[in-house]
Amino acid sequence: MSATSKFLIIGLALLVSIALPPFLSAGWQNALNTMLIASLFALSFNLLAGQAGLLSFGHAAYFGVGAFAALHLMLAVEDGLPVPTPLLPLAGALAGLVAGVVSGWFSTMRSGVYFALVTLAIAELFHSLTPHLQGLFGGESGISSMRMPWMGIRFATILEVYYLTLGWFVICAVLLWAYTRTPFGRLTLALRDNEQRVRFMGYDAHVSKTLIFTVSAMFSGVAGALQAVTNETANYDLFSAGVSSQVVLFTYVGGATLFFGPVFGAVAFTVFAFLMSDLTRSWLFYQGLIFVLVMLYAPHGIGGALAMQLRQWRELDWRRLVKPYATATVGGLMIAAGVVFLTETVSILFGLDYEHARTLTPDYLPDFTLMGQVWSPVAVSTWVLPAVLLIGGIALLQVARRWLDHSDDAMAASDTETSKGSV
Amino acid sequence: MTAIETLNALKLTGVDKSFGSLSVIKGVELSVRKGHRHAVIGPNGAGKSTLFNLISGMFPLTAGEIELNGQRISGLAPHKINRAGLSRSFQITNIFHKMSVFENLRIGVLAKHGSRFDLLRPISRMRSINEETGRILDLVGLSVRSGHLAGDLSYSEQRALEIGMTLSTGAEVILLDEPTAGMSREETAQAVELIRKVTEGKTLLMVEHDMSVVFSLCDRVSVLVYGSILATDTPAEISKNSAVQQAYLGEDAA
Repeated sequence: MSATSKFLIIGLALLVSIALPPFLSAGWQNALNTMLIASLFALSFNLLAGQAGLLSFGHAAYFGVGAFAALHLMLAVEDGLPVPTPLLPLAGALAGLVAGVVSGWFSTMRSGVYFALVTLAIAELFHSLTPHLQGLFGGESGISSMRMPWMGIRFATILEVYYLTLGWFVICAVLLWAYTRTPFGRLTLALRDNEQRVRFMGYDAHVSKTLIFTVSAMFSGVAGALQAVTNETANYDLFSAGVSSQVVLFTYVGGATLFFGPVFGAVAFTVFAFLMSDLTRSWLFYQGLIFVLVMLYAPHGIGGALAMQLRQWRELDWRRLVKPYATATVGGLMIAAGVVFLTETVSILFGLDYEHARTLTPDYLPDFTLMGQVWSPVAVSTWVLPAVLLIGGIALLQVARRWLDHSDDAMAASDTETSKGSV
Repeated sequence: MTAIETLNALKLTGVDKSFGSLSVIKGVELSVRKGHRHAVIGPNGAGKSTLFNLISGMFPLTAGEIELNGQRISGLAPHKINRAGLSRSFQITNIFHKMSVFENLRIGVLAKHGSRFDLLRPISRMRSINEETGRILDLVGLSVRSGHLAGDLSYSEQRALEIGMTLSTGAEVILLDEPTAGMSREETAQAVELIRKVTEGKTLLMVEHDMSVVFSLCDRVSVLVYGSILATDTPAEISKNSAVQQAYLGEDAA
């Protein structure tokens, strides 16, 4: 893809994210705001994980530290400190930076699994200590504050907050991208590739890794601060392993090998959570399932898979691909429907409500309602439907794969023909 | 410091190295004169690579001292030894596989110019850095491969890149660890010419198995056997030395 079309896509995305939100519901505005914060967090995480090859399992620490720092600054502003509300995330940046230098120095003494474990331990340290620190972290209930108006902007609606988040996201994304173009950004890639050689070429690998860690923690702190500004509250839960693992999930499902890959993951999962969490209690299970599937079948993530398709856009014979791609989509949807049906059925049958219903009818298994239909757990038809969906879906995927293999062969054959012809 | 000492680019005094109870390097005394091309030869397991790892700071010494241009370098971290002016290559190709050939060399050039932690300027605007990288690229004959991933190069091209990376940090003392290992006769001849060209005016210490390479390239040869230096002399004298012949051919033949 050329540089101009890249800028065109980014420009278009920016235009949409500025112009569209006023026409959306507050719920969607909130979801978009969450999306931007998750994206920024994932981009800063990926600087460490994707570019430097240092997989941290404890990035919640810097996100959380940033959030609490912003809240303390907000409290100070309430008491009359003249800091404009839009500059609150700077407190998050500073706190992330300080926390990053200290824990980066210790954790980057080791690589690989040991590095991951040290980062995990540091985050757990925060998680277990913060509920006991009443003054700094507000104990178990956390601390709360209020956004103060600034220059006539009241920051009273989620839309106003969204634009603040968007502004910071754009600034940080540009800075993070510029980072990759600096000498140190190139060294970051070299460190991932071959740390030993870097050392023998005159670089202090430990200092370099500490610096990378610090930059990543600093931008994570900004993301945490934006969350604090949005929610006007934070508690020790921000340091939980769930927050740390979520950013890993976003980054790898989105694609750690691409700069903007993590954004795809953050957007996809935020939208998914927004739409699904009201519909089903099993949405976390589906999220995990998606993660496993992406890792198995598209290890470079959504972004990586998209980038590959775009790169081959011209070479691909789309007329030949329409049929297998459409078949694969239908097959995939059938499998998804089958899995969803089974999951929801199981969660009903083993749920508390059903247990209660069974005590009322001890002689037989009562019927249950799913997707507006009444089903009997002992009827064959109840289990035939998901079986048909799953088997049929798998069969369609196999057919599509055979067609794709065939067209690959055909393309390879035509390639050799043309190369023969040119000789 | 006496006048004679300053003539030495590299000086090892009483260097010992043990791994646990295993003594690998025993009392090595070695001086490499400034501007010389000096080879270390010896049978397998004699400790040649260990010696290189000690000089370049990969392992700490058990005893002894190493000086670079009269300045003590033993005990320093690898990056500090490199900044002091000593650069090494590796026996097993040790490059940045997923980066372009140009970038592999540029990492070293950046280190040479102290742009190590530069976070404020885009690298594409650093013209003198990019020009200097281009010159090294020309020197090792990889200009046509500039944009290729280093991992995609052929074996002998990767060996040339390895030498280029060793040069790129601007060191005056170059250590090459078996630069012609695994090469065909033709490739070896090319590699020898390359090494001759790029070490012009510099000091070279190399581990080499191929005696013809040693003869055509080097001013001095040291023979390392069981962790000790058996002899140091010109290639012609070394080949006549009976102790060396014994070490290489076994006592029966002597």
